[in-house]
Amino acid sequence: MSHHLFLLSPSDSPLYSLTHYSTKPTPSTGSALSSNLPTWSTSAFAGTLTALSGASSATQSHHVQGGGVRMGGGQDRHVIQMIANASLDVIEEVMRKDNAMYLKSVDKFNEWTISAFITPGNMKFILLHEAKNDDGIRAFFNDVWELYVKTMLNPFHTAHTSIRSPVFDTRVRASAKKHL
Amino acid sequence: MATTSKQYKAIGEDLWKGRTEKINAELFALTYGALVVQLIQDYEDYGEVNKQLEKMGYNIGTRLIEDFLARSGTGRCADFRDVGEVVAKVGFKSFLNITPNVTHSAPPSAPLPGSRPASTPAPPLSAVGSSFMLTLDENPLAEFVELPEDALEGGLWFSNVLCGVLRGSLEMIQMQVQAEFISDVLRGDETTEIRVKLVKYLEEEVPVGDD
Repeated sequence: MSHHLFLLSPSDSPLYSLTHYSTKPTPSTGSALSSNLPTWSTSAFAGTLTALSGASSATQSHHVQGGGVRMGGGQDRHVIQMIANASLDVIEEVMRKDNAMYLKSVDKFNEWTISAFITPGNMKFILLHEAKNDDGIRAFFNDVWELYVKTMLNPFHTAHTSIRSPVFDTRVRASAKKHL
Repeated sequence: MATTSKQYKAIGEDLWKGRTEKINAELFALTYGALVVQLIQDYEDYGEVNKQLEKMGYNIGTRLIEDFLARSGTGRCADFRDVGEVVAKVGFKSFLNITPNVTHSAPPSAPLPGSRPASTPAPPLSAVGSSFMLTLDENPLAEFVELPEDALEGGLWFSNVLCGVLRGSLEMIQMQVQAEFISDVLRGDETTEIRVKLVKYLEEEVPVGDD
């Protein structure tokens, strides 16, 4: 089960993105369509179709060759980003009504749920995930928020530029492993 | 009559507690960080930035020593070893609320033939060339800092102002020292260490006793 995290500045420019493959067992949800697709398919269209129909790379890996998954991976990325961008409108709508920081799941696309977290400084943290995991995600968002604040306090970091610090990266991955 | 290490610690602790104007640590760290970043933008050369930080520290140190002596009331140090103890346990504690560890080392070669006039009440017992090493476990100046790669390559010592403070303050009490960073956790080393080496004792300008 994979998760995709995006950190966006108030002007919606991406500052950081992370893909995390969870090792936790996931309830398999509605992957009927994906199993109908040939597993050897390497064409670009098939890759996109696989992604759109909800075959997740991790859970299907035991009967999909590594090469096939990797071919589809490039297409997956575009789909993921499209989904994330599409959710921004919904997030802004919800943002105006709801004052809480953690907006639970704001959008749903096939099997991808999008959860959002808005910081007081109007940074948006967007997480694409498949399974329901409210508490874990809330804890994860809080962790990411703390790490983000610490990075902002680094005098060498310019506000609203992409976050390239390896320390931040390591810590976010560790937190993802812990909570997701 | 020699003040022991524990007594120095107690003096430092009291001075820190007794100080009424303290500054928020985050504000302090952020201000210093902004200062360093601005210097880097202005000079664009990390060696030059190190020098400027040291100069600024020197100016701070020359004034700081008066404040320190007025508040602490510690007497004359018996030798350079004592200087190291007081600096670490009383000085750093009362201004930054940290107590670095001190390790002393003797001068590398035989002491110079003593030709100092014995007009000072307590002739210095340690020879020129002795040094002490301060090991800081925590550095309030560098709280949230991560150095970018070019700062690492350029050889930036982020807290170099501390070396300047040590040099300035000790120069005002007639000791010319050389203070420099040996290692820094910001650079990826294990510890943060400053070595203070005694270069020479300066001529006494204040008349001693009543001649």
